[in-house]
Amino acid sequence: MRRAALSCVLCVLAGAVPLRAHPEIEAALTRLNARLAAAPADAEAYLERGELYLRHEDWMSAEANFLVAAELAPGHQRLARARGALALARHDPTAARTFLDAALARAPADHEALALRARAAVAAGDLAAAKRDYAAVIDALPAPPPELVLAHLALLPPDAALARLEQLIDRIGPALVLQLRALELEETTGRIDAALVRLDRLARASERPEHWLRRRGDLLARQRRPEEARRAYAAALAAARALPDWLRDSPDTRRLISELQLAASPST
Amino acid sequence: MKFAPALFAFLALAAAPISGAATTILRGPYLQSATPTSLVIRWRTDNTEASVVSYGLERNALTLNTKAEGIATEHVVQLTNLQPGTRYYYTVGPAAVPPPAAAAEKKTTAEDAPPKNGTFSFVTPPPVGPAKPTRVWVLGDPGTKNKTQEAVRDVYYTFTGKRDTDLWLMLGDNAYPDGTDADYQKAVFEMYPQTLRSACLWPALGNHDGKSANSITQSGVYYDIFTLPTRAQAGGVMSGTEAYYSFDYANIHFICLDSHDSDRSPNGAMMQWLKADLAATQRDWIIAYFHHPTYTKGTHDSDKDSDSAGRMNDMRAIFLPVLEQGGVDLILTGHSHVYERSWLLDGHYGKSDTFVAAKHVKQTQDGRADGTGVYKKRRGRIPNEGEISVVTGSAGHAGSATKPPALNHPAFFISLNEPGSFVIDIDGLKLDAVFLNDKGAKRDWFTIVKE
Repeated sequence: MRRAALSCVLCVLAGAVPLRAHPEIEAALTRLNARLAAAPADAEAYLERGELYLRHEDWMSAEANFLVAAELAPGHQRLARARGALALARHDPTAARTFLDAALARAPADHEALALRARAAVAAGDLAAAKRDYAAVIDALPAPPPELVLAHLALLPPDAALARLEQLIDRIGPALVLQLRALELEETTGRIDAALVRLDRLARASERPEHWLRRRGDLLARQRRPEEARRAYAAALAAARALPDWLRDSPDTRRLISELQLAASPST
Repeated sequence: MKFAPALFAFLALAAAPISGAATTILRGPYLQSATPTSLVIRWRTDNTEASVVSYGLERNALTLNTKAEGIATEHVVQLTNLQPGTRYYYTVGPAAVPPPAAAAEKKTTAEDAPPKNGTFSFVTPPPVGPAKPTRVWVLGDPGTKNKTQEAVRDVYYTFTGKRDTDLWLMLGDNAYPDGTDADYQKAVFEMYPQTLRSACLWPALGNHDGKSANSITQSGVYYDIFTLPTRAQAGGVMSGTEAYYSFDYANIHFICLDSHDSDRSPNGAMMQWLKADLAATQRDWIIAYFHHPTYTKGTHDSDKDSDSAGRMNDMRAIFLPVLEQGGVDLILTGHSHVYERSWLLDGHYGKSDTFVAAKHVKQTQDGRADGTGVYKKRRGRIPNEGEISVVTGSAGHAGSATKPPALNHPAFFISLNEPGSFVIDIDGLKLDAVFLNDKGAKRDWFTIVKE
């Protein structure tokens, strides 16, 4: 009975949506509708149709398709994760966590579900659980992207975040955004010398070291170390002046040079 | 790892499985992550076996060998210590080719002689910085596996003839409908075998690729198939992810963004990386590419917030100002299955009804030497000097002929509902670009000169 009602809803949705969808969705829907016409109990097709709607932020249609898929194949491997993603997108972290718990109970190595559950935990205010999930997924992935690392670090106090960051930079390499975060954390936790060493390293590795040397000057100035700051600005100025003519004469470099001249001058 | 070929051949034979089954190469070889001194060669076999690339400077003397650890069906071998701007011949297999015998066949010196069976060649990128004539082939949304995709491909092959393709870009939706491994096999590996084995492919992630891939876990078909620089191996700044990356080729800096699946927020990791990457480059030309267009009135509409879940809005309102501030010269996108080429633009970040030609068009000529004049820019990293936006998303199919797209976005100088691909030639401070349709006609062309 319930399935019949759902099927009615789905028929309406399947008929109505193409009218307002763009051709690409129409084509995908046509393919899925044909599959379902040929095999009305194809849970995978319902799941795929739900995922299609989910990607295009049509929550109601996604939900309707997932419900039918759940009736047809309650133990489907990907379904619980998809429903968790939908609940999270609909700002229902509690429901999302329930689905994602189920997904992970079935497939503990489902990294995508783990990352989603971490986000759901953050949304639910359960930071301890979020930290656990982020740590687990980051440790499990051979090359966790910076987005995941930054999301995890945001939950940690500065000292712990910095320690974790250094560990991850050792493991996955000095991605630029991780270095920027490390600089912030080093300054926040008073590890100024470590930040200066990092800035030196970045300057040495860069084709445009003037930006990093200037940043070094700014850091020293904030730390009330004016002489060292001036030396850093002077080094930045020298680096900017050493650029090829066509780059040195660019408006942004000219502006940088005039600012550095002022900052490096003994009278400032 | 390099070692004497004879010794290696002996070791490989000794380690070979006892099974006598012949192994077939199912995919590739294909070239990835090329730098002036290194390159990744990948291929797939039906049976597990060792991964060896034999290579050398002469077709008949593949005297160098590099072997990856272990045995596999997905073979990934990185060649290192290569010479920049140099043609190498190579072959792949489970064992090194034997060293040339004393009575070896006469060497051929003709560059255009057909390769021996299974011997291919590539040219390493030139040193970074100095200019070198460079040809780039750009395919947006190619992966339909149909006759249109073949026709677009064949037109380019005729156009380029014996001229090497130095590198090629795919702007996403590389394999329809779902970006599965089987889709990629038909739409990419069986469609472009000769280009795959001779020129490095640099792809972007599209929404159809994204159906079988996940950027946050760096997993799925797209990420399994491609080896992209996460550590700035090929230039630029280290992104730490294959979802977005940059690389240098001669005097050109290329930036690939993930408009589909990575965080597009103003303070997100991709944006932080992009700003740093733009600030760090010293190349003459900056070309950015990604899947979702900033402007389009083709098979998608960049004015509709709901279209593509706001991704086009994000790329226009959030990323375009940074790209323009960073001095980008050319923005290449797909997604919309049409060809749309803009005026030399700057500062238009709203919907099409906010476009004011007097304000947003930096130069009013058509960009053609045989028209009202080429675009001229100053050399250097000049913020907001203007860029050309090209939507070239019809390498596999164009919009419906019976219900044609509007193609009326005012940012564009020309809009075409035709299949085709885009070719860029850069020679020093001159960039020529052309859109070739599936019938072989040059349907648009323009030139940018830096002075």
